[in-house]
Formats: sequence, C-alpha cells, structure tokens
Amino acid sequence: MPKRKLDPLPSAAFQILLSLAGEDRHGYGIMRQVEEQSGGRMRLGPGTLYSSIQTLLDEKLIEETGPPSGDDAPNAERRRYYRLTSTGRKLARSEADRLADLLRIARVRKIYRGEYV
Amino acid sequence: MSEKIYALLLRLYPANFRNRYREESLHLFRDRLRDEPGFFARLRLWFDLLTDTALALPRAHHMAPSAVAVANRGPLAGLPSFDILDRPPLRPAAIVFAAALSLAGTGGFFLVLSYAGVRPGSRLAAMEEHPRPQAHSQSSAATPPTTAPPAAPSAGSAITSNAVAPQAAANANAAQDHPATTPAATESPVARPVDPAELHRVVEGAAQNLRDHYFDPNIAQHAAAALVAQEKLGADNAATPAELAVLLTRQIRSVTEDRHLIVVYSAMPLPSAPLTALSPAALAAWHQDVLRQNCFIEKAAILPHIIGYLQLNAFPDPSICHQQVATALASLNHAGAIIFDLRTNGGGMPDMVAEVAAPLFDHPVPWYNPKANPSDQPLIGSPGSPLANKPVYILTSSITLSGAEQFAYNLQMLHRATVIGATTGGSAHVGAFHRIDDHYGIGIPETRIINPYSDQDWEIVGVTPDIQVKPADALTTAERLAETKLRTSRGPR
Repeated sequence: MPKRKLDPLPSAAFQILLSLAGEDRHGYGIMRQVEEQSGGRMRLGPGTLYSSIQTLLDEKLIEETGPPSGDDAPNAERRRYYRLTSTGRKLARSEADRLADLLRIARVRKIYRGEYV
Repeated sequence: MSEKIYALLLRLYPANFRNRYREESLHLFRDRLRDEPGFFARLRLWFDLLTDTALALPRAHHMAPSAVAVANRGPLAGLPSFDILDRPPLRPAAIVFAAALSLAGTGGFFLVLSYAGVRPGSRLAAMEEHPRPQAHSQSSAATPPTTAPPAAPSAGSAITSNAVAPQAAANANAAQDHPATTPAATESPVARPVDPAELHRVVEGAAQNLRDHYFDPNIAQHAAAALVAQEKLGADNAATPAELAVLLTRQIRSVTEDRHLIVVYSAMPLPSAPLTALSPAALAAWHQDVLRQNCFIEKAAILPHIIGYLQLNAFPDPSICHQQVATALASLNHAGAIIFDLRTNGGGMPDMVAEVAAPLFDHPVPWYNPKANPSDQPLIGSPGSPLANKPVYILTSSITLSGAEQFAYNLQMLHRATVIGATTGGSAHVGAFHRIDDHYGIGIPETRIINPYSDQDWEIVGVTPDIQVKPADALTTAERLAETKLRTSRGPR
C-alpha cells in the first residue's frame, strides 16, 4: 500500500484544515488565520503554505472555490479561495481525536494538567 | 524593488509550482507588505520569506507532480522511450541562459588553465622552467647541496679533474643534454646578470688556460679561438653566471669533442690556492665535508637472496675515506653476488676507483687508468679476497660519469661484471682544475689516453651496458639476474 503524503498529518496541513473549518479563505487569509489560531507561533510563508495547499488539493481534503459574495477586497475575483471538503473535515477530526488521545495520556502521566477533553 | 527580489526567489521553485502559485505568492507578499509596515516588521517579513524558501524548496521539488507521474511510467517492452520530466517545453530564455552559462563555464575553465600555466611562480610555470628536476635531485641526493666550492680544486696538482665534484659534472652533463635547464641554479639561487667585463674576463681566462694546458695544442688553439670569436659575435648571451658556465662548456666541447673539459661557476669564492697548498683549517673543513656525506656511500646492504648492494655516489679521496669504503665493501663479503649502483655516480678519485675494484680479483690484472701515464698503468688484485669470484653487476645511467665510467668500462672489458642500465655519459679524459677568477674555473685534461683493452674507450660514446634497461629498472633487473645466477650455481636441490 503506497504511503500517503499526509500520514502523519504535518502540523502546517492540520492548521490549514482548521483555518478553513469556519469559512472559505484565500492563501493570505489562511496565513493570517493560522497565525491567529496558533497564538502567533506559526506564520506560514508562501512556499510552505502553497505546497501544503497543493498536497491537500491532491488528496481532495480541500477544494478550490470562487470568492464568497461578501468579499469586496481588491483583486478578490482573481484570488483562489479554498474550502474544506467533507473528507478534509473528517481527517481534521480524526487528527484532533488522535491529539486528544495523546492529551489524555499526557494527563494520566501527569505531564499535562488541563481540562478533561 | 522588494517584490522583484521576491519574484526572483520564486524562480527557484519548480515550474509547476510557479505556474500555479506565483501570482498568489506575490499577492500574499504584497498583502504582508501592506499590512506589516515598519522596519522591524519588514525585517521579520524577509526573515520569514527566506526561512520559508529554504524549508519549502526541497519539498516543492520533491513533490513536483508531473515529473513523478511521467517518470514512474514504465518503458514499453522492447521499445526505446524517453521520460519527459516536465510537461511544458523549455522556455527560449532558459535555453539561451543555459547556453550562455555553459559557454562561460568552459571559457572560464580554459582561462583559469592558461592563467595558471603562464603566471610566473605558478606551479605549472615552475614545472616548465625545470623540466628535469630528477636529474638534480638524484645528484643532490648523492652530494647534498654544499656551500663548498664544487671542485676542491687544484692547479696541476695530484688531484685531477676527476676530483671535480660529481654534482658539478652531473649538472654540466644534464645541461648539455637539456640546454633549457639551468643546473647551477642549485648553487646560486639568486640569479644575477653577467656584466660585459665579467664575460670578457671569463672567456679570455678559459681560452688562455686551454692554450696553456690542453694536451693537444692544435685543438686547444681552435677551441680558444672559437671562444673568443663567439664572444665578439655576442653569442654568449647568458642570463646568469651559471648559464654562462654551461654555455662556455658547450662551446668548448663542440670544438674539442672532449666532455672532460668543463667550465664551472661557483657562487662561493673558489679557494685561491691549490688543494695541496690549502691552509690546514680549509683542508680539514673539506675533509669534514666529505666525511659528513659519509664518503658518498649512499647505501651498503644485503638484499634478499643474499645479494650485496653498494650504492656509491662518488669515488672519494682514499686518504680520507679508505677505511669507510673498505668497511662498506667488507660488509658484502658473505653475499653471493654484488651489485654496484653507480647510477648517480659522477666520478671521483682514480685511486679510489682502483681500490674498490681490487677486491674483485684475486690475481693481478692490468687496470686502465686514463689519467696515469701509459708506462705507469697499474696492476690491481687482492689475493684471497672473499669477493674475488662472486658475480658482479654494475648499474649505470646517463649521468654515470668519469671515474664511475672507468669502473664500469674496465670491469666490462675484463669480463668481470655485467653492466645494466643506460649508456653512460661518456666523459673519459681526466685533467686538472684551473682557476679563472674567484668564481669561475675550468677543468682541462692534460694527457693523451692509451687504452690497453681496446681502440676506443668511453670518451663521448659512453659505456654501453651489456643489458640496456631504463635506469629506474636496472636494480630490479640486476637482482633478478643475480638471483637466477645464484640459484643455478647452487644446482638443483
């Protein structure tokens, strides 16, 4: 069985999937959202961002879409927007579950103290 | 400006990435430029971009989907096929750029090559200027560079030009074979031009000495006249004193065909008195120098199969080195065969040549000495000598000269040795060293030669080896022959 490109899911790809969970975004929007949701720890550069996007597109985890009707930013029509697919959502969820499992273990081992997931 | 720089950075990405994401990447860059004003923000932006490029480039190239997809398609069975790694054809600009780059690369390579080749002092240029360093190194290995005058000279004394230091003779010989070399440069590392007065003085001195001392007055007159004539013609165009000595030697030899005539230049002042009249201190210093060089005994050893080996780089004065040479010879007494390695031996004292040869005979034999008067030709031999009946091999090269040639020639004529290697230099005459001035001297043979063995000795023509091999291979050949000979003489076991 050929090894899947996103197994394990790279952190950048997971962040992109999460950033698209709420709404469709273009590249810069994804970058800003990722920066925000990671508390400024992750700022995706164009190379990493679009390589990851391409991989996610290849795996049909996201798809291209037109600009949302409300976006009146200049050149909005020339930008590519990306939307999370149902497969992508499923994968993001399973990745979150995997991380939650890890958190549980960390809590049992007294490594991590926090709210029970 | 910033955008252009970033656009250039984007060119590093594979074509498929650029085609798809170039515009978007530039958008993103512009957005960040707009949203992140200020010096530090810009600094951070560029840091991010450069880091991102370094990290993402390998991944982008690794992923390049069209390349992977096409290259993975297997070749059709039995049919030649090409894998196309990129779908879009090469852009004309890329072709022009690649052509220019390869032209520049090739041109640059040859430029570097020619620059390194002609630049003075460069390694290649140095090799061009000294095409035969091994001749000097062999010679100097035998007689390490010494500041002593080359000849330990004497004017018409008992010490003849056979005593001219082997290095000078070898150098002169090498110079004749390869006129481009500047052999005496080892003596005089700092080259200085020859001034006209010096040139005139040396030419006149050499000519006068030839007329006064050479054994054939007619030839001497011709040679002297030729020297003077060539000076007037301006043919003595030598860059350094050492070159002048080589040039005059060549001119004299071309008229006389006598290779034992030699003009010598010494960077150190030559002693003003004959060796016999030297002060005790100077004499002691010269003796010390010879002893320091282990009497020119480079190696005395027993090789495998009990073959004795003696490498002698000159035949030293017996009054200094009798004991050392006798000990070296005695160390070979129990060997089955003896190899004399004279490949870097430029000659020496005729008495020592006879001393080394004597133990090889247990009965008296006539020993040809071109230096001695015909009526005084000695008999040599050493009754009861342990070396007397052992096979003897002599190794020679083109810089085997003078006394070393006498040793090889005589033993060959007496059927006492097998000579192996290259034809020797061909310096037969022996003579006396005459001072021209503080730095120049001339070696002149003063007797006519009577040969008891044959019509012709080794003068000019050299000693022809019984077995001609490259000097470098001579020792191996001799060892093989000796080993075979010893095995046969012992008989089958």
